[in-house]
Amino acid sequence: MKYVIRPLWGLLTPFCFAESPVLPLTNEPAEQNQSISLPPPRSNLEKTLDEAENKLKSSLDGDRLAAAKLLGKYPNARGTYLLLVGLDDDNALVRRASIVSLIEHFDSGQPMYDRALTEKIFSKVGDPDVEVRREVSAMIPRLSIGLMRSGVERTVVNGRMVFRSVPANLREDLFKLAVDALIDVDSIVRQNMLKYHSNLRLPIFPETLGVLLSDKDIGVLLVALDKVRLHPQDDTVFEKVELLASHRELGIRTKVVSVARELGYSHPLYRGVLRKMMTDDAIEIAAQAAVEIARFGEKLPDEVVAKIEAFLLQSPGLSGKVESIFYGLSSLGEDGNRIYKSLTSHPSGKLRSQAWQRYLSLTEGWNTPQVWLPALSDRDVDVRSAILITLRGRLPELGEPEIRTLIDSRYADVRAFGAESLLSAQPVVVENTFFDLLIDEDNLVRATTLRVLAKLRTQGWEKIHQQSLHDQEYAIQRAAMDGLLINRQEGIAILKDYLSKNSSTKIAQAIRIELQRMRVPLP
Amino acid sequence: MRFVPYILALLSCSWAVPNSFAQSEQGEKSSIRIMQLRRDGNLRIRYPDALPSLLAFMNEHARVKFDQDPLFIQSLTDERLYENPILYINCDELPNFDFSVEENDALRQYLELGGFLYLDAGIKASFLGADLGHSYAAWEERPEVGEWFSQVFPEKPFIPLARNHEIFRTFYKGLPTNEDLQLEKEQKRLPETVLTFVEQEKWPQGTYSLVGIKVSGRLACLASPICAMGWGRDEFGSWIPPISFRIRESADNFDETLKLASFAGNTFEVTREDGLQDEIFVMPGQRPLWVREPTGRWRIFKYYSGEEISNYAHSFYARLGTNIFLYALLN
Repeated sequence: MKYVIRPLWGLLTPFCFAESPVLPLTNEPAEQNQSISLPPPRSNLEKTLDEAENKLKSSLDGDRLAAAKLLGKYPNARGTYLLLVGLDDDNALVRRASIVSLIEHFDSGQPMYDRALTEKIFSKVGDPDVEVRREVSAMIPRLSIGLMRSGVERTVVNGRMVFRSVPANLREDLFKLAVDALIDVDSIVRQNMLKYHSNLRLPIFPETLGVLLSDKDIGVLLVALDKVRLHPQDDTVFEKVELLASHRELGIRTKVVSVARELGYSHPLYRGVLRKMMTDDAIEIAAQAAVEIARFGEKLPDEVVAKIEAFLLQSPGLSGKVESIFYGLSSLGEDGNRIYKSLTSHPSGKLRSQAWQRYLSLTEGWNTPQVWLPALSDRDVDVRSAILITLRGRLPELGEPEIRTLIDSRYADVRAFGAESLLSAQPVVVENTFFDLLIDEDNLVRATTLRVLAKLRTQGWEKIHQQSLHDQEYAIQRAAMDGLLINRQEGIAILKDYLSKNSSTKIAQAIRIELQRMRVPLP
Repeated sequence: MRFVPYILALLSCSWAVPNSFAQSEQGEKSSIRIMQLRRDGNLRIRYPDALPSLLAFMNEHARVKFDQDPLFIQSLTDERLYENPILYINCDELPNFDFSVEENDALRQYLELGGFLYLDAGIKASFLGADLGHSYAAWEERPEVGEWFSQVFPEKPFIPLARNHEIFRTFYKGLPTNEDLQLEKEQKRLPETVLTFVEQEKWPQGTYSLVGIKVSGRLACLASPICAMGWGRDEFGSWIPPISFRIRESADNFDETLKLASFAGNTFEVTREDGLQDEIFVMPGQRPLWVREPTGRWRIFKYYSGEEISNYAHSFYARLGTNIFLYALLN
């Protein structure tokens, strides 16, 4: 067996990892066990960094590239400073590898707040290689902490030590590089610079913004549109926004709607952009613009309202753009209510349920059973439960035909709701209908009915509850027990009687506990 | 790239849905609803924009009509399971893989009746642990999924899908081009080393590591590394959230350098496409460092992020997602 002895320096350094097992020394000749070999011992961190440093000085491109790649795995100050050397390499591949490795250091938590260090990295935003420029421009939010650091500078003037404050500004040469990068030939660099300009306190002048608003790249345009708020009243910028309102990409036009909506409150010019967009070829853009105009309090022409309705009716679900238009309908007043009503028959379950909720809320539709009764025949349980939530606690007194419609429903949740509705019905209606509910096939319906009957103290309720204590379903027994407990005067005697005859059932145990809690002497 | 016959088939996709799945009353005949299992309701959601965005993406590009609102179910015994042909589960959203006997029976019946189950994040390399922000294209299902399915189909193991499987060409074929990415022709879509790795190893011809189970000769259950992270789009069409790439790079003498370089962590074995094992070197608190491949070659993991990387990855995942869902509908 080959034995490996950890070198002494390895034991003393903090990077003494368990890479190479320390094995006992022996006098046994090595050649006796040559068939088994252990992996070669790994070097320690210092040695690995030494080797990488030497390779970075090599004249061979491959060596320097390998070192730059490997150094990314050692996030420490020495590794970081070695990678800075790689940033100045003549070979673009080494510079790329160095910047990628530096990012790896950032990601691994290596602090890089030193101003000189971050300035060195940021200076590569002017690198001739596009991949390096992309990486550096994407790093701006991280670099800015160091780059924009204020401090104190110590200088000697006429032999005297003078301290001067250093403002938190970008160094002059770097500022120029950053300004140039705003109109870099690569769209990713332009986009990053524009996105992060505020991290560098880099002003965007109207002329520059105008150029970027004419960019060919969609990503740059989207970011540039975000910056319109910096110069909303500039003529060039406004003209560019107007032009973008008819851009071929839907995403850009949607962004213009969003920008015009935000600026429209304080800069009425932008409402004009929205008005023009109401005639957009894409029905979704036209509908979005129209809803935004309505939010400003303007009355919409009938044909525009029809467009909105058509768009929503043909949309496949309630998400994204559809959602914002949908919720904006309430600003259309009566027209909006009418559209909500027509959307209650939309194929999308989510859209139907939201449409019902909005429609019932805005028109107080719960007062008119003819409005909501058909909704409860929706096959989607989510739609029905959304409607039931809206109706619950708001219904007026229901007549027998309405109660009958509810209890004849094919859906148990609706029949249970019918049982609940008995609470606000005339006694005669209750007496005419409760029996059908008591023989319902669904436990929830029967249990709800029992609770309602106990609450109303309908004639004969005690006997019904007494019988229900013998039901096969525990949920029914429980409802019967609860009903008897809330009417103590009659209920306690019935419960005690049940206990005396059925002491070992599951509900008997529950009754016993409840009666004990009420300090009722048990039989 | 896009096949007219497929589009025609998709336009009439309501006929492609197995007869076992009833159509609903409110006009869903014209829109297909995808179900998503969410055990904890809204408590454990990964990538909430993902599936609705993908459904919108497919509606926009494949001219198929999906309902953009997934139908969320909390249990596999939900009666609505049998009304919809495709069930999607993001395995990272599940609090655990405990399914009752009734649920497993229902799932088995569902798959036997023609349903399709897509297990996103059904592949996950063990070294990722609880880190949900990474994917790793191993070529076997994650252990929890394997254990679960041993109760559903004890006799059917997950089998890796070949790179030439038709699922990779159902609608989109190959990797995104500059045109797909809306980039100018001369624009670099990815850093060179990344593009080479992606085209040759990571996603050759737009393929990925998928494993599946066949039921009655039909691919009925599919598991993939997490793809949902690549589907989300905001209202302006921009992809969300940002995605980074992990790629393997080599350099001169790396076989020697990485063998000897300082390392204090753990190693993990991960199954490759050829069934052999990669040995991944991971240091605590850091992303995987490098890999020893069964050929004896050592390569380093490098991490790339940025707009171009993210856009490319999203485009790929959206195209793959489209292929998977449309394959599920057509088969």
